[in-house]
Amino acid sequence: MLPSFSYARPRTLKDALTRLSASGAHPHAGGTDLLGCLRDGVFDAREVVSLSDLAELRGIARTKDGGLRIGALATLAELARHPDVVSRYPVLAQGAAAAASPQLRNQGTVGGNVCQRPRCWYFRGDFLCARKGGELCYAENGENEYHAIFGGSGCHIVHPSDTAPALVALGATAVVASAKGSRRVPMEKLFVLPAVDIHHETVLAPGELVTEILVPPPPPGARSLYRKVRSRAAWDFALAGVAAVVSVADGKVTNARLVLSGVAPVPWRVPGAERALAGKPLDAASAAVAARAAVEGAAPLAGNGYKVDLVRGVVEEALTVLATPATPA
Amino acid sequence: MAPVVGQAVPRVDGPAKASGSARYVDDLTRPGMLFGATLRSPVPRGRLLGVDRDPSFDWSGVTVVTAADVPVNVVATIERDQPVLAAGEVRHVAEPIALVACEDRLRLERALAHLTPRIEPLPAVLTIGEALEARTAIHGADNVMKRYAITKGRGRDGLTGCEVVVTGRYETGAQEHVYIEPQGMLAWWEGDDAHVVGSLQCPYYVQKGIKTVFGLADDGVDVTQATTGGGFGGKEEYPTVVALHALLLARKSGRPVKLVYGRKEDVEATTKRHPSVVEITTGCDRDGTFRAFAARVVFDGGAYVTLTPVVLSRGALHATGPYRWDDVSVEALAVATNTPPNGAFRGFGAPQTQWAVERHVDRIARTLDLDPLDLRLRNLLRSGDTTATGQLLAESVGAQRCADEATWASGYRNRRGAGPVVAGRTARGVGVACFWHGAGFTGSGERYLKGRVAVDLLPGGQARIRTASTDIGQGTETVFRQIAADALGVPMASVDFAIPSTRVVPDSGPTVASRTVMVVGSIVEAAARELAERVGREAERSGSTRAEAHERLAGTPALATCEKQYEPPPGLAWDDATYTGDAYPVFGWGCDVAEVEVDLDTFETKVTGFWTAVDVGRAIHPVLCAGQVEGGTLQAIGWALTEKLVTRGGKVLNPRMTDYIVPTSLDAPPFTTLLVEEPYSRGPGGGAKGVGELPMDGGAPAIAAAVEHATSLVLDRLPLLPEDLFEASGAARSGGGPA
Repeated sequence: MLPSFSYARPRTLKDALTRLSASGAHPHAGGTDLLGCLRDGVFDAREVVSLSDLAELRGIARTKDGGLRIGALATLAELARHPDVVSRYPVLAQGAAAAASPQLRNQGTVGGNVCQRPRCWYFRGDFLCARKGGELCYAENGENEYHAIFGGSGCHIVHPSDTAPALVALGATAVVASAKGSRRVPMEKLFVLPAVDIHHETVLAPGELVTEILVPPPPPGARSLYRKVRSRAAWDFALAGVAAVVSVADGKVTNARLVLSGVAPVPWRVPGAERALAGKPLDAASAAVAARAAVEGAAPLAGNGYKVDLVRGVVEEALTVLATPATPA
Repeated sequence: MAPVVGQAVPRVDGPAKASGSARYVDDLTRPGMLFGATLRSPVPRGRLLGVDRDPSFDWSGVTVVTAADVPVNVVATIERDQPVLAAGEVRHVAEPIALVACEDRLRLERALAHLTPRIEPLPAVLTIGEALEARTAIHGADNVMKRYAITKGRGRDGLTGCEVVVTGRYETGAQEHVYIEPQGMLAWWEGDDAHVVGSLQCPYYVQKGIKTVFGLADDGVDVTQATTGGGFGGKEEYPTVVALHALLLARKSGRPVKLVYGRKEDVEATTKRHPSVVEITTGCDRDGTFRAFAARVVFDGGAYVTLTPVVLSRGALHATGPYRWDDVSVEALAVATNTPPNGAFRGFGAPQTQWAVERHVDRIARTLDLDPLDLRLRNLLRSGDTTATGQLLAESVGAQRCADEATWASGYRNRRGAGPVVAGRTARGVGVACFWHGAGFTGSGERYLKGRVAVDLLPGGQARIRTASTDIGQGTETVFRQIAADALGVPMASVDFAIPSTRVVPDSGPTVASRTVMVVGSIVEAAARELAERVGREAERSGSTRAEAHERLAGTPALATCEKQYEPPPGLAWDDATYTGDAYPVFGWGCDVAEVEVDLDTFETKVTGFWTAVDVGRAIHPVLCAGQVEGGTLQAIGWALTEKLVTRGGKVLNPRMTDYIVPTSLDAPPFTTLLVEEPYSRGPGGGAKGVGELPMDGGAPAIAAAVEHATSLVLDRLPLLPEDLFEASGAARSGGGPA
């Protein structure tokens, strides 16, 4: 059951940001994660600030520089079917399409998907874990088959978003606003590891809101895809996944960005794997080398060692698919 | 009048459910109604010292009920070991300790938060292994709740001298029902009379529970079914608890009380499918002829006995699979653990033991280097064979026909013969499973139950069926109308189905055990036939039309109603002491063929084709019947591939639909469903047998066999998650693979 809170539906972004600067205020976009968190008692809200009247936060449009401007309120369904996204940024369209279920994608927004809270069963359950202000990470010595193999320290959540890895791989930037003004944060810098801040998943300060996301034009010769492994075919979070953006010129990889989902507290870039591809032909051999590099430094817990091989498999598979020219990627 | 049995008529409850006008318990209110909630144990075992109320909280208008308020603190099922509210001790996480009600749901949550159980934790027993070790005794000295032994021929001694002896161990985990509507009841008192309406399968089970606790007579209790959103066995025994809780709150507050569980609470607190460990040793000839079967079956019963003895019984009775064995020994036991009581779930113990035997038959095939289908065909039960309990199978034995139809339709032999098809980084394989399911209550059950149904002639050419068999989504209302309409010789639209309420309908027995159509449907048919004869006699006597005769009878209370009791087939003999004889009046039979595609990088398993042939005797409504088969199969696929209940310290870690993973429509394979009809002479509508549970038996072993064919990985423990396949592949690579 939902706890009680006051509800506001401001008409202007300025008014919304003023309300969000109050302590205990939470933005309400699609509500697909917010309501679950409130029901499960993950956190309380003093005021829920609806963003639904803020037309300026909607829409997906090409920018003057040939990139893309995605309003934070663009739904996952809009993102998944937008012709420009589908044709020029397949990795992002596929990431959006891989999230949740059709109903949730119609309701859920890209801003919310990027900023959603983790799905760890201790965090969502009745455990006062470290992320919620307690002292322990229950997953560390508990049931941790779905937890992180990279980047965990004192907390071993995985970042649940399917669009964030794609946006990081595309070098996107988040526009972040608060009552005091706005700033731009590269998507790669938006997320924080528990070693830096164990209570938050993003660098957003209280009162700050992601209002839009800017994606640069795709590099020439870029191919991209998002591959997600999960237990069932819909409405399920990633066991592991990879957002891959690889540029090829004259048969050689000129630039590669590989970002993992489902295996670290943040979308997890694997620079070692990216370097392994640079200057090489994109083929089965380089895919295998990059896949091995992708799992270097993995530190699995007792129950999730399988994810190391899963990452290796999914990276190799994704690169192999991208290497096949017939693939519409 | 053209018969409607055998026709896929529109389901009667369809329009109300599709349009949203059907009223489920949470849609109901009564004036002055309060909302109820339950305070539960946070620990798996402990001494309950008391319940503290925070004095700083404003308790006005809040009703609190504890064990002290319960007249007779027993949930009456088989044993009397389960309290309505914990008193003195708690035995599982989420065990009800106290109840709270008030007008305002928000305040209710707060009141609950200000109520604290004082518990001194005790060491808990959480797994079958810990229970068997019995270092901590929570049930008798050995934690064993119930034992059965089935012996045929020389029993275990039959293994001696067999040419090929094969041994294996097979496990299954808990499964949650995930009925679409959680548990819920609305209760009130009128004077000393108790009234409940809610989501349930078995009105008379709830009535019995209420009578025991409040010391009421039959007519002092009114239990009515609301439109119910699925049950799968999960609303067989548990609704009694919810009804009792709501009634206790209503009695103390003097107001109507509605108690509806949220999904999380429902998953944490209510029954699950029994986890199991089954060890099988068999002996056979080198050509694959089965000779001797010995098994030890262990089920986890949870903290209280509830229905575990009967679930275990059905598990034991199906343990041999649908095969001929000269000598059989089945030792079955259920152990107690400090987990919520495990209970009824579609299949009722049979899916666990048939998972084991079907995996074992594949193991024998591997050992003998025989095709798994050939091995099965050689040993499938036929008419004239006897089962483990010595039951002679006289009629309606469709095992062979099902195997033929499913394997022919699927092209099993070609697919299997082609070997695993490895294309790029995926491998396709195909697997087969054969299964059976006894229809109706076990042994002498139906004789004790004496299920009754009434059919009334009403004015205007109408008739009405009164039965306690509920429609919980499976189509009872529609199918019973079909049976009655044909027997009465009237259009289906003229037949009504009374809302199941214990003051209106006779006790037809519970809505369980695949007995609704076969057993209760046959009583409906018998009562309707008798009324048709009365009408005919009256028409003849008075020289009037049947319509006129109908009206005359409808106006004569003594003649308008026919109430019939179930007559068990003559000649059935069952001995509870030796576990020998006719375990079931008849069996349903089936064969599943599954095709899977396994991603060799990620070990994701996709079911790419599923062919199922089931012998249902006679399909009263082919579409609803196929719907039961496909839905049940998908539930089996979930049990096999995605559903894993994860616990820590006896507490469920994934009580949400986002992390307890049931299959979606995208996970459903293309189904080819073949209804085989080997009529049962005593089944209604021309020979119908039960179908509700049968499809739960074959899916999991067929899928495991297909995964094995595709990958050579042998998996004997459910579920088969990608990480389990991965682990098995690692063991296989390092040479430590399964024997």
